[in-house]
Amino acid sequence: MVYTIRVATLEDCKDIYRMIMVSRCGDRRVAQGDLEQDGFSKNPFFQSIIAEVPEQHRSKDGHSKVGYALYFFAYSSWKGRSVYMEDLYVMPEYRGKGIGKALMSKIAQLGLAAGCNQLNFAVLNWNKESMDFYLSQGCWDVTTGLDYHCMRCEGPALEALARGDPKN
Amino acid sequence: MANFILRKAEPRDVPDILRLIKELAKFEEMEEQVVLTETELLQDGFGEQPFYHCIMAEVPEDRRSSDGHTVVGFAMYYFTYDPWIGKMLYLEDFYVMKEYRGMAVHTQYIHSTAVKSRCSGMHFIVAEWNKPSIDFYKRRGASDLSHEEGWRLFEIDKEYLLKMSAK
Repeated sequence: MVYTIRVATLEDCKDIYRMIMVSRCGDRRVAQGDLEQDGFSKNPFFQSIIAEVPEQHRSKDGHSKVGYALYFFAYSSWKGRSVYMEDLYVMPEYRGKGIGKALMSKIAQLGLAAGCNQLNFAVLNWNKESMDFYLSQGCWDVTTGLDYHCMRCEGPALEALARGDPKN
Repeated sequence: MANFILRKAEPRDVPDILRLIKELAKFEEMEEQVVLTETELLQDGFGEQPFYHCIMAEVPEDRRSSDGHTVVGFAMYYFTYDPWIGKMLYLEDFYVMKEYRGMAVHTQYIHSTAVKSRCSGMHFIVAEWNKPSIDFYKRRGASDLSHEEGWRLFEIDKEYLLKMSAK
């Protein structure tokens, strides 16, 4: 199947939002307008790329934008510039055609062009199919390899931490 | 007189930033992994589009360290994005020289930065064996995403990035 991978524009945001809604579950705080502002204004907080198919391969719901990846630039205090892949998604009916791999390859190209030395991302431990794919591409599991745990502090806990509330 | 001040890093701080990065890496027994140079730190942190931000902790002259330093701690951070939650702050490094620990305000500065920048949360990595740090953050409401949700951090190094980008 023919497809193109390209940098996303503001017009693509509604399709990126559509695919984010399908691929995730739980409570959300970001509306489409927020995504437009955060990703497509003068100083964006993220970058995105789109996988698009020609008209004759549109999905049964009429979509030609069938996959996306969302990334941003990060920094390693050991090695310098890095790129973090936050989201990688292909609509189910378009999987198995190399689109996911092509999206990731594009991020690798854009990261290298920006002077990055590494690409980081997170995978859920039950997602064996994805883990096997990434391992086959030369990635390694930092959590297992270095015993690193991803931590998060948010909401009231973040505000309490900022105030320096006394703790037990 | 205050024990220390906290301030935004300036280009002149780059040698101290690298010194403290190496000290922290040594504590983690990973000193040989630090390949970053002062030139890269200068370019990447103080150019038109910085890749990172730093806050420095500095003591007065009369409280210089035994080896003559007044810059005794730092925190390195940058902004990230979760399309479900929004803007986040990622704390890359956070370190205070041993003889100056216990002052605690350093932590508040970072967390205030996250709140003032309208970040929805803060992410960071802690090594499993670093129980004091894990306990410190858990007491303050942090969640261990690796443990609770099964997230594993993956990395692809440059050699494989080049192969991947050529495909």
